[in-house]
Amino acid sequence: MSDRRDFLGMVLVSIILGIILSIQFKTVNKTVGDGILPTQRAQQLASDLKKAQSTRDAQSNRIDELEKQIEYYEKTESEKNIYAERLHSDTMKYRILAGYVDLEGPGITLEISEPSSEMFDGYELIEQLDLILQVVSVLNAADAEAISINEQRYTSFTEIERAADHIEINGVSTNTPILIKAIGDPKTLEAALSIKNGVVDVIRLLGGFNVQLKQENIIKIPKSRRLQDFKFAEPLEESN
Amino acid sequence: MNREPKLIIMIFSLIVGIFLAIQFKGNVDMYVPATLNSLQNKRIELNIVKAEMEGLKEIIRENEKKLDELKNISEEKEILEILESDIKKNMELAGITNLEGPGIIISMYDNDEIRLDDHNFDFNINDDIIHDIDILNIVNDLRIAGAEAISINNERVVSTSDIKCGGPIIRINGRSSGTPFIIKAIGDPVALNAAVNAPNTYGDTLKNVLNKGFDTYTEDLIVIPKYDIPLNNFKYAKPLEGEE
Repeated sequence: MSDRRDFLGMVLVSIILGIILSIQFKTVNKTVGDGILPTQRAQQLASDLKKAQSTRDAQSNRIDELEKQIEYYEKTESEKNIYAERLHSDTMKYRILAGYVDLEGPGITLEISEPSSEMFDGYELIEQLDLILQVVSVLNAADAEAISINEQRYTSFTEIERAADHIEINGVSTNTPILIKAIGDPKTLEAALSIKNGVVDVIRLLGGFNVQLKQENIIKIPKSRRLQDFKFAEPLEESN
Repeated sequence: MNREPKLIIMIFSLIVGIFLAIQFKGNVDMYVPATLNSLQNKRIELNIVKAEMEGLKEIIRENEKKLDELKNISEEKEILEILESDIKKNMELAGITNLEGPGIIISMYDNDEIRLDDHNFDFNINDDIIHDIDILNIVNDLRIAGAEAISINNERVVSTSDIKCGGPIIRINGRSSGTPFIIKAIGDPVALNAAVNAPNTYGDTLKNVLNKGFDTYTEDLIVIPKYDIPLNNFKYAKPLEGEE
């Protein structure tokens, strides 16, 4: 009699094990794809990613090339006419404000990083992205002329968004540590950031992050590479 | 009769063991186990880079068109036309033009309720006031939803705009401003509305959890003024060589 019971017990366990195994199989198959092992898929994705990144970099270089040529032609043509020259130099000012020119100059760099996980029990930076927004605002209040976050130019369209386990800035994926660069008067910028109970204190003491703030003589800030189209906004004709 | 259960266990262990062996034996150098999570993340990254590439392609196309135009200039007035449309476009992108379009208007104001009858004696006055971080978050959410122009109490928000608490008022573009804070944004009204009202958004939390003043209205026509602080020449920033 007890043999029978043992046997039934075995059958039950086997059935459950079988069901678990098949569910596991199905889940893996759904994520990975039929007939491919997760490790192979990971390698495939990694090489696809590398390929895409190098194409994107090549495209960036092509844009730089084209812009240099355009600048050359515009300059030569506009030198023939005083009005044209003035238009051309005014345009440069607006292009800089809009964020479409690579810039260099003195300023500061601010790096925010998370300490190693054993000591860190606070909220991750990814959950407090508005700290970065505050840094930008303080820098602007101290007359920063250009700002970049992890090599992304900060423009009037720049958003900082959390996406899965990383951060998206200007639609480009990035992650901690966060390196903020700003061009302006280095002393003023540093002072504004590090006043007592200011934003650096908040990030360091309340947030528990590592903060490195340095004045620099030469900082390079790249231009924005995002095409901005107005789909809803139209200029309002001024009746001048 | 007693040997059968043991036989079944042995067979099962063999099968499970074989599965494990296949898993580990993939002919790759594995330094990190490929978890389902990491595969998912890698795929998301790949899609983001692909989207970047699309955007860059657009820019390349536009630039090539422009270069063609420039190479084919024959009359003097053509360069003027090109330069004039250039400067207009860059002024728009920089925020130096008045813009109009559909969008959303948001009113943020301090919570006026007197809380003396609250049982919670350690309520913090700071919980009732609009802070710069509140405005910064809302502006960021609007940008994520594609806002094309934003103003706060009629101050245009540009890349160099500051939004800072300064005691009882908030400083925007260096000018002091008080509650209520009227934020206007031009863009897709549906997307903008969702960005600040959908459950779990910052706006929703401000309104329904913290009970701060937060009203929104979508509109068909909103006018947003230009950034009107005169642009001096940049004192510290210079274009990199090859651009001037």
